[in-house]
Amino acid sequence: MALVATLFFVSVLVFLVIRVLPGDPAELLMGLEGSPEATERLREAMGLNRPLPVQYVEWVGGVVRGDLGRSIQYDLPVGELIVTRLPVTLPLALLAAAFMVLLAIPLGLYAATHHRRSGDYLAMIVSQLGISIPQFWSGLLLILLFSVTLGWVRSGGFDGWSAGVWPALRSLLLPAAALGLFQAAVLVRATRSAVLDVLGEDYVRTARAKGVSERGVVGKHTLRNALIPIVTVAGIQLGQLVAGAIVLESVFALPGLGRLALGAIGARDLPVVQGVALFVASAIVVINFAVDLAYGFLDPRIRYE
Amino acid sequence: MMRRTIVLLCTVLAACVAVSAVLAQTPPRLVVQAPTEPPGLDLTATPASATAGVVFYNVQEALVKMDRHGKLVPWLAERWHTTDNRNYTFFLKKGVRFHNGRELKAADVKYVFDRAMNPETKHPYPRDYDAIGEIIVRDDYTVTFALKSINANFLHNVARQGSVIYPREAVETLKSHPIGTGPFRFEEWLRGDRIVLARNLDYHVKGLPRLDRVTYRFISDPNAVLAALKAGDMDASLFGLGPEHVQEIQKDSRFQVIVGDTTNDVILAMNNARKPYTDVRVRRAITHGINKQDVLKGAMFGMGKVLGSNVDPLHPYYVDLAGAVPYDPVRARKLLAEAGYPNGFETVLRVAPQYYYTVRSGEVIAENLKKIGVTVKIEQIEWGQWISRVYREADYDLTIIGHAEAWDVKNYANPKYYFRYDSPQFRELFAKSEVTLDDKARRELFVQMQKLMAEEAPVVWLFMHPRLAVTKKGLQGIWKDQPAGAAVVDLSEVGWAAAK
Repeated sequence: MALVATLFFVSVLVFLVIRVLPGDPAELLMGLEGSPEATERLREAMGLNRPLPVQYVEWVGGVVRGDLGRSIQYDLPVGELIVTRLPVTLPLALLAAAFMVLLAIPLGLYAATHHRRSGDYLAMIVSQLGISIPQFWSGLLLILLFSVTLGWVRSGGFDGWSAGVWPALRSLLLPAAALGLFQAAVLVRATRSAVLDVLGEDYVRTARAKGVSERGVVGKHTLRNALIPIVTVAGIQLGQLVAGAIVLESVFALPGLGRLALGAIGARDLPVVQGVALFVASAIVVINFAVDLAYGFLDPRIRYE
Repeated sequence: MMRRTIVLLCTVLAACVAVSAVLAQTPPRLVVQAPTEPPGLDLTATPASATAGVVFYNVQEALVKMDRHGKLVPWLAERWHTTDNRNYTFFLKKGVRFHNGRELKAADVKYVFDRAMNPETKHPYPRDYDAIGEIIVRDDYTVTFALKSINANFLHNVARQGSVIYPREAVETLKSHPIGTGPFRFEEWLRGDRIVLARNLDYHVKGLPRLDRVTYRFISDPNAVLAALKAGDMDASLFGLGPEHVQEIQKDSRFQVIVGDTTNDVILAMNNARKPYTDVRVRRAITHGINKQDVLKGAMFGMGKVLGSNVDPLHPYYVDLAGAVPYDPVRARKLLAEAGYPNGFETVLRVAPQYYYTVRSGEVIAENLKKIGVTVKIEQIEWGQWISRVYREADYDLTIIGHAEAWDVKNYANPKYYFRYDSPQFRELFAKSEVTLDDKARRELFVQMQKLMAEEAPVVWLFMHPRLAVTKKGLQGIWKDQPAGAAVVDLSEVGWAAAK
């Protein structure tokens, strides 16, 4: 129920916000040289002259039937456009998430177990840097180093998976790293503080007292109990990966969902903006749902009726 | 023995290297930046410059072509003929084939223009064909256009991007798969990423094109373009880099920078219907108050040319009026005082940072105008808003933008255009120029129009935005100047010197 309410709210918000923005898709399509008459005819053909509630009901009616509408810019079904962009954005987000987790959890653990020692301070300084550097900037620095100077990977673009798994992965590695690094910086801090909290618990002291090895204390007793706040933060981060993808897909010229949305906003391609926003919102709702399920798995005391 | 073996091995190795070098010699291909993705590829449905940049001249062509020197030359028509300037007969080149294999016939020409004139079609430039009365097919290769009235722009309009000839059977799919007679045929459009064109093996100009394949990659971020060029992933950026980016790449010996003239006139528009710009003295004061050389230096790093009217240096009737209303703050103050603004006034300048030179120009201009007592508040708005509020609704005091279209003085004869410039005298001159065919008389009218514009100062003509192209060294045949419109890039004669 909450899921449906959230999606309904998102749909209304997206629909209204994009229409409140000054700027008319017909005018943008016609550009400076198009005649006013031609623009008016186009506006009518696109159905933009009808009252807003009528437009909204029609759109939602379509969505319920699985039809997200037709793109003004491309004259293609929005659903089809989203599906063709997913093979870029989904692996990009997954790779970035992998970067994030593989980097942040060991580093956060290390910082917590070396609390107030030089390793901890170093990890915190590095993560502070990671949070402070904007993603587009770190993306550009990575391009300069790995592609312009070293020539290891392409500077951008994506040939599709049909060209082979390795070439496709090579195109995604740098943007995933740039995307994952920023999110990892946030997650390192969350991991560190969650682990520190648990390390102060009585049962940790008991485990140590009964002679459990430090590896056992950290790996078994501490990490598992610290995972709930970590998974919560990571879940939120996953949603933010999509937002970050919008910026990085532009820097790396990747034909993903983010660039589709960005281009659509610029061109006031209303059906595409609505479709992508609704899709992303649904994805985030699903991720949150998965996070909730994970709680039960991580902590047997949590049960869902 | 040992030495002979080594010599033999070395020889074999050298031979292998040589053979592999020959094999690895890349076929003539070009990867080029497209700063924005076209909103569709049908030139008869959209006026978008992104569409013209890919399709016009490369995939689709017209009866007449404006060449790299701005001259109208016969193209799909091998010649034309008129005795009374009312009836133009075009004789089509024989053996020209569309990309679908069918030969171009006179009936196609009639179909294309009839369709453009039909209001149902939603052609973006229906007015270009207002003068056409009837189109008569004489035979397969001869077609006559009977004009309702004499129109000096007729041939010019036939050469425009909206007048490309396509086969009737492809009309429904032009938007996603354009078919024409051009040097390249459309191959693939990967939405959001690239468009690929391939050589038209049957092109009607022998020996052209020189490239096998052209890939347009959509990259809007100039930093990403620079990185792609430097990393060798892209061969050229022919439209879309600003002077700030070109400066950097000029230092790199692997690239050549082409700087040329365009029809892109960058102006400071004043709302002639809004006070205080209703007063010609104020408009002249603003013009006197701006140091255009400063603007050129500050906004364009000195690249481009200062303008004095809306007729650019590529126009055949261009008169250099750059110094007609010179920078003179003292005179500007005097004019403002005469107009009733001895202490100046406050005004808002709306610019769209999508075209960043407009922001930089605005900053220099605000600084300049401060000296004559005019306080300029700069407001940055997004491009979609600019089109709606400034361009359509004329809700602005001042704005800066480049007008890229060729032969666009007609805008000053339209009082509803966003300048709101309403001058019966100018309209009369313009109307005369439309029906005057004698070159000398027409030139005289254009000179008068330019002088009147400078006199009445409806806008401040700042500078001509230069053509800035960056390519890898060895790429030849690129137009230096762009007389046919700033976004039009003809790749038919482009090729790599020797082996790439």
